[in-house]
Parts: sequence; structure tokens; C-alpha cells
Amino acid sequence: MKPTRKIAFLLEEFSTPSPSQQLLDRFLMGYPHNGSFHRPAVGEFAVYLPPTHESDYGGRLKDFNLVAAPTVEQAVDGADGIVIVSRRPGAVANDRYAEIALAQAPEGAACFIHGALASTLERGRALAKLAASRRVALRSGIALSVTWHLPELALAQDTALSEALIVVQMSPPLPGSPGTLAGAELNALEGLLPIVERRRGGEAGIRSVRRLEGDDVWRAGDRKLWSWPLLAAALSRSHSPQGDPVLDGRTQDLVGLGLVPKLARHPQAWLLEQCDGLRTSILRLDGVVDDFNFAVRTAAGQTFSAQLFRAPPPLEHHFSLLAAVVEEFIGTLKSPWPLERNLLIAGLLETFRDPALRTGKAFATPQLNIRYRPTT
Amino acid sequence: MNLNSATLEQNPWTRREFLSAVTQTAAGAAILAAQPSAWAASTGRSARSRRPRVALLATEIRKYSHAQHFVDRFLEGYGWEGQHHRPPFELGSLYVDQFPEGDLTADRRARHKVKVFPSIEEALTLGRSKLAVDGVLIIAEHGVYPRTEKGQTQYPRADFFERTTKVFESSGRAVPVFNDKHLSTDWGKCVAMVETAQRLGFPFLAGSSLPVTWRIPSLEIPWGTPMTESVCVCYGGVDSYDIHGLETAQCMSERREGGESGVRRLQAVRGAQVWDLLDQREPTRRLLAAALTRSFTAKGSPNYPCALPTLEWLKTNAKNPTAYFIDHLDGFRTTLFLLNGVVSDFNYAGLAQSGEIFSCQMYLPMPPATASLADFFNPLVNNIERLLLENAAPYPVERTLLTSGMTLRSVESLYLGGRPLETPELKVAYQAPRHSTYWRS
Repeated sequence: MKPTRKIAFLLEEFSTPSPSQQLLDRFLMGYPHNGSFHRPAVGEFAVYLPPTHESDYGGRLKDFNLVAAPTVEQAVDGADGIVIVSRRPGAVANDRYAEIALAQAPEGAACFIHGALASTLERGRALAKLAASRRVALRSGIALSVTWHLPELALAQDTALSEALIVVQMSPPLPGSPGTLAGAELNALEGLLPIVERRRGGEAGIRSVRRLEGDDVWRAGDRKLWSWPLLAAALSRSHSPQGDPVLDGRTQDLVGLGLVPKLARHPQAWLLEQCDGLRTSILRLDGVVDDFNFAVRTAAGQTFSAQLFRAPPPLEHHFSLLAAVVEEFIGTLKSPWPLERNLLIAGLLETFRDPALRTGKAFATPQLNIRYRPTT
Repeated sequence: MNLNSATLEQNPWTRREFLSAVTQTAAGAAILAAQPSAWAASTGRSARSRRPRVALLATEIRKYSHAQHFVDRFLEGYGWEGQHHRPPFELGSLYVDQFPEGDLTADRRARHKVKVFPSIEEALTLGRSKLAVDGVLIIAEHGVYPRTEKGQTQYPRADFFERTTKVFESSGRAVPVFNDKHLSTDWGKCVAMVETAQRLGFPFLAGSSLPVTWRIPSLEIPWGTPMTESVCVCYGGVDSYDIHGLETAQCMSERREGGESGVRRLQAVRGAQVWDLLDQREPTRRLLAAALTRSFTAKGSPNYPCALPTLEWLKTNAKNPTAYFIDHLDGFRTTLFLLNGVVSDFNYAGLAQSGEIFSCQMYLPMPPATASLADFFNPLVNNIERLLLENAAPYPVERTLLTSGMTLRSVESLYLGGRPLETPELKVAYQAPRHSTYWRS
């Protein structure tokens, strides 16, 4: 891994805790990695915040070798690593920062965006094109795509899959955060795509998307549009069932007892049909559990399930795993995952916001015919 | 665009079908059918005639008491290997020693028709003259009990065990027993419990959930690895969480080359003495640092939570630090750090003779802070099920005999102001099983 001369952090806000703080601190102070404490070798740190969010970064300007740059251009000047962190993963500010950063960064730099690559597929493609033209490596992602699985998933690469399902919840909204994409959907896609893209043939792209809400979600399950058994498998991995367990600590078979529809507040489902026939269901079930869990069924009928582990705040050490990935990306320019994954997620998030999905009918998505093989 | 209807019909389950299947699975008939011989032998009845019965002897059942976690997992089931698993046992009887505010005994009795008996003997005989259950769980943690002058809470585990085995003897039959946490605060009683189990010939399982919970990362020390030291960095109180920390270390240490040899000497200290002794032990300092890197809660600075604590930080910020320095008979060392104010999780590091360091966190999803359920009891209950189904302890009770001894002698060392103690009575040698018993599937 080559030494990093300079890293620029382009932030939309800075508070503790926040993704900005989590990633910046790990580069400034180090982080646990493979059983030891690792300090990234970085010559210079620059950080940029919009003038409306002036900050001393909680004393970091004084205590660390951190320089507040007045403009994005000055921050990225000479930087071989650029990390863009929005207020919320997926916020549209990424697009603006990324365009400037990619235009200004020196050739051979790496730019990592925390969150979605861009607010639309078209803008994502434009960023990818710009990055390629300037020979700057570009990736986006969040910690959920690299976090621990409980249990570690024993799903072999190139296993043929027939169905996948993930259960997520909406993160509490931050006050005054316009332009924020829904965190739940981003979490679901970042959590599940790294798993299903390892299936036989790799990721085949998305043929259609259907969005359901309210009781239509349960009716769709009964019509086998998504799988109750996979939901049960996913929820069996949860450590945070809501309802009676919160009241008196009892364990409960949430699916078997028919409690899921009773507990869910404003349930939503996104049903994806992949171009190779895989069916992926994203269930946003606020009020049912408070952690992210998934299950996949192989073509041979086996079911694998796990929890996407989020380490407790304020340290949130899944950010240590992400920091290690970002540091290696900057230091080696080696792709941690294909850029097509980031494009597909940007396109899916854009599709999820499309008012046409409110009909509850399947919505053809030829633009999401994005095929790729996972990085090995 | 229309979705392909053929694709949509591939899922063979509706909610109704699925609920029905779950209910049938809950009966556990298939599991029993696969295990008829062990139960026929131990109960003298056809394994198909009824679900085996378990008696649970509890100090108290309230939200998040240990007994509540066990009772509800037997009554309601729990998440296991990707499904909601219902133990193939009937919680046939309960004995509850105390009924504090918030008691849940009545609620569980009403909802599940569990029989609650006023005495241990009646719980074991279901009110008749002979032993009428197929397994016994002693969950004597929490509740109000006398404390010794050394600060130990005298939970009635040994008393519950003795009364249980008297019923075994009077019935001419013994069944498997599980004891939650350490055996007793009295070494003589600890030994007597193990010897009684051997004399009566029933499998005896005991201990903490720490050895069987998730490990992050999922780590098992290769069986037979030559090792020199284990360190656990954790939190909590003396005679409460120390046993969890010692079991965290011991479940790894016992896999070393030669197996467990027993303990020859120990010293437990507080405050500055912790750092004074640590200064003399370079390998221990390395292991302490390695274990801290596995913590999800170790903060090294009030301003910068991500900073890893340095030794200097620990010295000034650990609230009344406590450490147990334990020398084993074969030269191996175990060191336990209770670092309240620095960590609130259980972290392990072990040093191989080769210089390699193994480290992980024994992860506890702990309600209410990080979970709504204390699901680290899931693998413990599952190991209890194995005990009952296979009529054999999945890991040796000698582990908990030794950690009980380490605990109570360390408490004594603390009580004596940090005096080193020779421990000839802790010559507890045993071999760990090769197979892993922690949560990884």
C-alpha cells in the first residue's frame, strides 16, 4: 500500500456521533484492525465544510494535523485520497462535492463517497465517466456492506439463489435535512447486494420493481410475492424484537404467532425481480425489530440467514471495518467492489422515489439492467 | 410490465401453511423420534409417549432476571439456526424462591399452564413421591440473599443442588442437571456438587453464557495449541461478572496443549496495584492491548471516543480497577481485568508460544442498551438441550469447578488486601472437547 500524501474530507456537517466524525476520527486517530490498533500513514489532512456549518471539529483542528480548507478545490488540491461524507448517507450533496472533487483531484487519486454514489443513475453515470476520464478511482458505500454477519455467512460464492429478503427500519430523521434519501432503503441495498451479487452468474440487474405499503404488504406475502418463511428466518436472527419482549423480556416467535402485521408501523415493501429470475424483497418493518436481518434461499432449497451487525454507539465499530476498506482503496486503488454495484444502488434509490411506483404494480426497469461480477 | 406469474408461484408457502408448519415443528416430535434410546434409558418410558419434562428451580422470575431468560426460552422458544426453535421439552414444573415486585411467575403460569410448586422436592416429583422430571435447571442468580463478609452473595445454588440430589437418591434415579453460573461461594460445596454428580452418575453442566455466545470475530483456538497466557478485559463487579470473565478466558485456555492442569497460585488486586503488577508483565500488557482492540466500548478519551485507551489513560480513568493474576500448574497464566469506566463488554486475547495472539470479543447483546432480548442465553439453552437429549454434558463441568474456585479464591485475595494465595485445592485438571460449542451457526 503506497503512503498517502494527503486526504481531503468533504463534509456536509460535523457532529458527534455522525458518519463524518466516525470516518474522520479513524483516519486521524487510528482504529482497531485485525486485533491491533492501526494508525493510517497519512501526511496531511484537509477538511472542508460549507461556510454555513463552520466548526472547529470538536478541537480536532488544534489537536491533530487537520487543516480546514476554505473551498472544496483547496481541500482536494494535491490529495491522493478524497472522502465525501454527507449529513445522511445518500444526501444529494454528494453530487456537487463529487463533481468538483473529481474535476480537481490529481490523476491517480481515489475518491470514496460515504452513502449513495449519486442522487440519480444518470448523475452517477456522469460521475463515473468523469472519474474515468480523469483517471480517478471512484467508489461509494456504507459500513453495512462490510460489517460482521451474525453468524458469519457460510454461503459459498457462485451458489445459485432463488430468493432473498432483508428486513430494515427507517432511521430516525435528522431535523432539517432536505434532500435526504431514505436511509432504510440504502441500508437494505448496501446490506443485501454484496451477498446476492456473489450468486451464480453474478449480479444480473433488475428487471422490475414493485412497491407496496400497508396491508398490501401482508397480502403480497400471502400471494407468495415474497416469502413468509424467509421473513421468519431473517427475524430469527434479530436480537431486538419489539412488543412483548420489550415489555417483559420474553422471547417470541413473531412470525409464527402472527405478530408481525400487528407490530409493524406503516409497513413498506420493495419487491425486485432480477434479470436472472432471483427475487429480492426489501421489507421496511418499523416497530417489529430494531436491527437489520436477512435471509436467502438457494436454488437447492437451503436457507441462510444472518444479522447485519451494527456495533453500539458511540464508537460504532462497523465504521472501523469501513475505514479499513477506504484506506486500502486509497492506498492501492484496488476496487473493493465493482462500481456497477454503486450505479445499481443509485438507480434503485431513484426508482424507489418514482411516483409511478405508488400504484403497487410492477414497474419495468430496463435502465437497471446493470450486470457485474463481484470483486474477488 | 407484468411480472412473470410462473415465477411468482414458485414460493410454496402461504402464511397459513407456514404457521401450521411452525406449530407442528414446535411439538418437537421429529427430534424426539431421532433420540429415542437416550430418553428411554433415562426415563424408563417410551420417548414417544410425551415430551420430556424439565424442572426449573429459580431464585426469582422478573424481567431480565436470569431465570426469566431460561423460563421463556423453554416456554416460548428462541431464534436458533435461522428459525424460531422450540425446545422439545415441557417445562414441567417451577420452584420459585422469591417473588419481588415485578414478579412474572403468575403471568407465565397463567399463560402457559406451568405448574409452580412450593418446594423443590414437589417441583421435582410433581407433587408425587418419586422423581417425575427428566432434567433439572438450577437458576439461582438474582434475588435478595445474605452476603458474606467478603462481599459474596450467597445464592442458594448448592442448597438447590443438594435438595435435588436427595430426591434423586430417594427415587433411585438421577437425571441431567444444569447449574447457571458458578457453583457456590464455598469451595467445599463446589467440590461436593461435582463429586455427587459423579457418584450418582448424572451429567452435570454448569457455567456462564460467555463461553457459548457469539464471538466477534468468530474465533476458535485450534485444539492443542501451545499457549502461555489468556487475558480477559471486561467490566462488572466482584463475585458477579468476574466469573463471566474467567469463563471467557477459561473456555479458550483449556484448549491449549496438554489441556487444563489446574491453578497453583493467584493474586487479586485493586487500584494502583493492578498497574504495578502489570508493569512487570510485558506479555500481559500486549494481551491487554490486543483484547481492548476487540472492544466495542473502549473509549480512550472523553473528546475522542474512537481513540484507543493507552495504559496511561487506563491508569487515570479506570474506576477502581481490579485484576486477578492467576498462575496455572503448567506455567500458563490467566489474567482478568475488571475495568469499569473503560469497557462494558467482554474481550479476550490469548498468547500462543509461537507469539501469535488470538483475540475476539465474546459478544453479549445486552438489553436494554443494545437489544430487547438477552439472546446470549440462546446458545446456553441450546447446550442445555444437548445435555438433556444426549444425556451428556457438551463441555466439562470441571471448567466451572475451576472458575468457581478461581473466583472465590480471588475474592478472598481481594479481601486480604491483595495477598497472593497458594491454591493447592485448585488442582483441577481436565481436557476440553475438541468440538466447538459457541454460537456460530
